[in-house]
Amino acid sequence: MAAMAGSRHDARALSALTGSWALAWRNLLQDRIRFAMSVLGIALAVMLILFLFGLNAGIYRGVAAYLNNAPGSVIVMPQGVKSSFAGSGQLLPPETAGTVTGKLGDRAGVTPVLTLNAVPELHGRKENIRLVGYDPALGGGPWKLSDGREPAADNEIVLDRVLADRHNFKVGDSLDVQGLQLTVVGLSTETSSFTGSIAFARKALVESLVLAPGGASFLLITPGPGSNAGDIINELRTVPGTNVLLKQEVISNDKKTLARSINQVIYLMVTAAFIVGALVVGMVIYTATIERRSEYGVIKAIGARSGVLYRVVAAQALVAAGLGVLVGVGLAFLMGQVVATLRPQFLVDIERSAIAYTVAAGFIMALLGGLAPARALAGLAPADVFRR
Amino acid sequence: MIRLALRNLVQNKTRLLVSVGGVGLALTLVFFFDAVFTGAAGRLTLYIDRSGADVWVSQEGVRTMHMSASSLPASVTGEVAAVPGVEEAIPILYSTDMIQAKDSEHVAYVFGLPRDATFGGPWKIVDGAARAGPGEVIIDHSIAASAGLRVGDRVTVLGQELEIAGLTSGTSSLVNSVAFVTMDDFARARGQNQVISFVLVKVAADESPSGVAARIGQNVDGVTVQTSQQFAHEERKLVKDMSTDIINIMNTAGFLTGLAVVALTIYIATISRRKEYGVLKAMGARNGALYRVVVIQALVSVALGLFTGLGITLLIAALAPRISESLVLTVSLSSLLRVTVVSAVIAGVAAALPASQLARLEPVAIIRRG
Repeated sequence: MAAMAGSRHDARALSALTGSWALAWRNLLQDRIRFAMSVLGIALAVMLILFLFGLNAGIYRGVAAYLNNAPGSVIVMPQGVKSSFAGSGQLLPPETAGTVTGKLGDRAGVTPVLTLNAVPELHGRKENIRLVGYDPALGGGPWKLSDGREPAADNEIVLDRVLADRHNFKVGDSLDVQGLQLTVVGLSTETSSFTGSIAFARKALVESLVLAPGGASFLLITPGPGSNAGDIINELRTVPGTNVLLKQEVISNDKKTLARSINQVIYLMVTAAFIVGALVVGMVIYTATIERRSEYGVIKAIGARSGVLYRVVAAQALVAAGLGVLVGVGLAFLMGQVVATLRPQFLVDIERSAIAYTVAAGFIMALLGGLAPARALAGLAPADVFRR
Repeated sequence: MIRLALRNLVQNKTRLLVSVGGVGLALTLVFFFDAVFTGAAGRLTLYIDRSGADVWVSQEGVRTMHMSASSLPASVTGEVAAVPGVEEAIPILYSTDMIQAKDSEHVAYVFGLPRDATFGGPWKIVDGAARAGPGEVIIDHSIAASAGLRVGDRVTVLGQELEIAGLTSGTSSLVNSVAFVTMDDFARARGQNQVISFVLVKVAADESPSGVAARIGQNVDGVTVQTSQQFAHEERKLVKDMSTDIINIMNTAGFLTGLAVVALTIYIATISRRKEYGVLKAMGARNGALYRVVVIQALVSVALGLFTGLGITLLIAALAPRISESLVLTVSLSSLLRVTVVSAVIAGVAAALPASQLARLEPVAIIRRG
């Protein structure tokens, strides 16, 4: 008997549940244009959130582009310097590379790199270029060339392809960087980001601009067979005036430095987009609920509990949010593609974790948006509805 | 018609509140991003504006300080000082570096000044000394507060452990703050004694900065010479050029979201009063009159949303410095004008769909349906 009663209870619950969804669906579809606009409103809010996350991730990827592709797993920085972003005021003296090479012998490769930030004005627009000075024989130069070759002379430069396209530079053209006329001999890819682009030249050229013959911003160390990064770090700790770190630590420090600047802005905007989405859900569900207030009153009058009505409201909110989230995720990818085509310096990297957060945010929006209509129903007195 | 439009809007106050809030927040997104960059640009030129220099001399081709590096032979200072009309020339070293304190790190523009510099130093000291001595540093008080530091504590700057000698105010932005050390400490960290970054010039009382700048340019090789105003202008242009694309992208996203919210609000407000519109039509009201009602509703909603968005942004701008002195938001007049114009366009577009619904409205059918 108990089993039968339980199954009847389950069947009733199932029927109530499916009934709630059917009623919710009919309520939403009652005005298809309104429904479509509400889905679009939620989708735009979701798109904005996901796009912001994608832009954020793309900025981080762009920041790490050079070190991720540069040789080595260990970096020797000047004393006290932990990030390749900051510390441009400090250089490793010329003798450090010799000391490090002498200590490691043929157990590891040593690649000195000297960087300089330059802001040439091209066609009336200031462009931020991180000029990487390297020795082509030791590595540390461009990892992917779409055209041309690496610099072979001290008046040659490899430009980022996106920057070159924007200013119509081709291999063979010349460019003024801090008073020096340089010939573009190659175009690199994967070297542009929101904060600027990377260009490559021989180290001697950058030394002449920085007035630091033989100096280096950092040394990239590539452990040879049989050597490991940990042993090399321990061995190099005694080199005076240096800070020896894993390359991944430096990448992580670079990202942290950037995060301090941009995270506050990105998260404030994500919050605003989230509230907009919740308001859109709330407005749509509220209107759909109030319009059918008399029907809800009838349902209440014939014995339906408030819980059933709440389920209808929740189902409406979830359906609108579910579709909005789906469309929004699609729109975010579309916007990412459009931005990548029109403004290729912006990497939009939509990660799975960001999609998961955004989907969760979409459903939280739906539940928050459903609160006001649910409260309206809770206060509904069946008799009043009939009286009106 | 205006009364009818207003009554339609206020008939359901919750819906009006939600729609104004939605539009307001969407426009806040637009205002906010612009305000962040405008605020940052203002802070970026703070040192240039307050250094006391009339003219800046930098490495040839270097016209900015932010994200730039300038290297000049130390001998340039003497060459500049010898130019007629130059009252005083001060060499400075400059670099972007990290202030490392306890477990935190803060990006800073670090300036190395000669000990006897009569200008170019901090302009507002809230605690401690106004000049850094050997082994000392002056940092912004907001950085000190966030890291729990006081005058006398030690931080690492340019790879050296230095004692905080004084605290400045109002130098921090979203991106960085400003710190001062002695030129000798800076040069030691840099490992280059005979290299400087910029020469700051004060011109004689009877000379104009632009005239002296031109004269320095003629007499000294391998340098770029700008008045402080030109230098600050170039700095602001750098931020503008770097941020224009991202601002345009965010504006588009914000405007589209705002458009969807307004369109939805006006559509719902129109459709829920479809019966009344049908009656108006049956009584002889023309489509044009009904369109005007819809457009007025859209304009009023957007105008209220615009004020809300502006209000929220101004509120954040007022509160932000209390939370973090680094977050400076400035709503520019150009931003306000742009958002106002686009908002009016949004209202017009948002009204199009409900207006077309009204045009197709059959009075008899509506009344019959009840």
